Amino acid sequence: MARPATVVRPARRFRPGAEIPLALATLIVFLPVALIIVLSVQPLVNIISPGWNFGLTTQNYAAVFAPDQPYLTQLGNSTVIVVGTVALCLTAGSLAGYSLSRLGWSPRTTVIVLVAAGIITLIPPMALVPGLYVTLNAIGLLGSLLGLVLLNTVFNLPFASVLMKVYFDRVPAEIRESALVDGASEFRTFLQVMLPLAAPGAAAVAIFVAIMSWNEFLFGLTMTTGGRTSPITVGIAALVQPYQITFGEMAALGTAVAMPIIVLAVVANRWIVAAVTRGAVKG
Amino acid sequence: MNLPTNSPGSRVKPASAADVTVTTPRRRTPAPPRRSLRSFRVVALLPLAVFILVFAAYPTIQLVRMSLSDVGIVGGEFVWTPTGLSNYAQFPDDDIARYSFLITIVFIAVTVPATVMLGTLLAILVHRSSVLAGLARNVLLWPALIAPVVVSVIWWLILSPNFGTLNKVLESLGLPPQGWLGHSSGAVFSIIVVDIWHWTPLVFILIYAAIQGIEPDLVEAAEVDGATQAQVYRHIVIPLLLPAIAAATLIRLTMGAKAFDEMYVLTKGGPGTATTLASLYIRNVFFDRLDLGYGAAISVLVIAAITVVMILVAIGRALRPGRELFNG
Repeated sequence: MARPATVVRPARRFRPGAEIPLALATLIVFLPVALIIVLSVQPLVNIISPGWNFGLTTQNYAAVFAPDQPYLTQLGNSTVIVVGTVALCLTAGSLAGYSLSRLGWSPRTTVIVLVAAGIITLIPPMALVPGLYVTLNAIGLLGSLLGLVLLNTVFNLPFASVLMKVYFDRVPAEIRESALVDGASEFRTFLQVMLPLAAPGAAAVAIFVAIMSWNEFLFGLTMTTGGRTSPITVGIAALVQPYQITFGEMAALGTAVAMPIIVLAVVANRWIVAAVTRGAVKG
Repeated sequence: MNLPTNSPGSRVKPASAADVTVTTPRRRTPAPPRRSLRSFRVVALLPLAVFILVFAAYPTIQLVRMSLSDVGIVGGEFVWTPTGLSNYAQFPDDDIARYSFLITIVFIAVTVPATVMLGTLLAILVHRSSVLAGLARNVLLWPALIAPVVVSVIWWLILSPNFGTLNKVLESLGLPPQGWLGHSSGAVFSIIVVDIWHWTPLVFILIYAAIQGIEPDLVEAAEVDGATQAQVYRHIVIPLLLPAIAAATLIRLTMGAKAFDEMYVLTKGGPGTATTLASLYIRNVFFDRLDLGYGAAISVLVIAAITVVMILVAIGRALRPGRELFNG
């Protein structure tokens, strides 16, 4: 009786051959991240002088978030972009995913829509930047936060739609039918019956899109004029100058931008894994 | 961490078309629901369609049109002058452009196999580990989740010639400091190492999810038959992971072609043009030289190159119908 239990779960055994390389790999990932956090609280003199002196200071954070610096505004811009992109991707993505999953489109139509959406994720965004630049200019949204929200939405919506379709596919068809038989409209059936059942998908979409749009750099760089109009990623990039010694500020700002994501990675680990594995492989 | 909703092994999905045929006879009043269904399904799909048309199809048309024009900016307005194929004619004589395509291919050829192999190895290690599995599963995701520009900052703090941590470490060991990013081969080597550190975690998650979907019975049967651990992985686990490995490779391939943020911050494409990948060169031509037509032409060539690769992948898939590349 004991034998099946040990064979079915081989991972329970302690294997130095797996643990030691894994410890090494975890350290290789962890140490660079730890470095930026440690440097963010070091006085500049400790960073630039030879040898290893460690102190504790908040002066780097104070310098970065001083009122005359653009970084607080940029953090606000990034937050607006994240909220707007997540809202748009959740709305348009769950509608499209539901329509393709449950509303009887022919397999051919479904494939055409999914392929058209999928192509967007294959093209390097930089290759579309010239075209997008002209498009945003034409509709008067060049350099605006709304313009960045729309561009972030375009490149995340295919993923959001596919992931929502995958989750709607799992809801039994009978539930939708009985709601309709009871007299609910198609829209009410979607909003009040089906959408709550696909809530895990919506959570995965929200977390994934939030991370992607918070981290986005290319459109922020090319579609804004910098300074207080850009997202925080552009602000960090501007701090990295070869001949300036802004190591402390760089580390402080980098830590401030990375921390929410690392906390999210720890707290919402299973949703992130679900989103990446399902969405990435499907889309 | 057990993902109950995520088991690639169980793939039982009813086809949506079949659901509708089943529901039709049960409707009491066929006409009205049918009309509302028709209109709602179109309305629901509309936002996605509008986004694709306005922000993908239209810009692509503009891109092609721009690549066939000389576009100047006069008083904040674009002035288009059709020039035929002259933008494309510049490409063969442009040494930097050809170098940027070449270095992009080299970059992809090194980083994609490296991240796929290391990511698969990490997934197997985490699967076999008992003590560190929980911690590793979490920490190993960090590089793929934090902003690419922050990854660049982290590596700038490490590799910077003046006060970088790596040179500090070398000095305390009595070794001479290196100008990692200061010479061409060092800079190319650096962006490759950074990319591998950055994206191996993504491959790890994809393959780890696939490993968890493998039926324990298969492994158990082999072990009962006396297979060694090495044989189990060689003949059972790795073959079952091949579809996921193929999918991860394809994803990494497109990401290699997209690479921009890390090099833009870390090396600015330099020294000289050593790390000017295709994406960086497009930005340079478009925004620094303001040669909009030529920048668009290079973009079209990049998209064409990716399309060719994707068609080859699709043909490869069609020739081997047993391998399902996209499985969930």
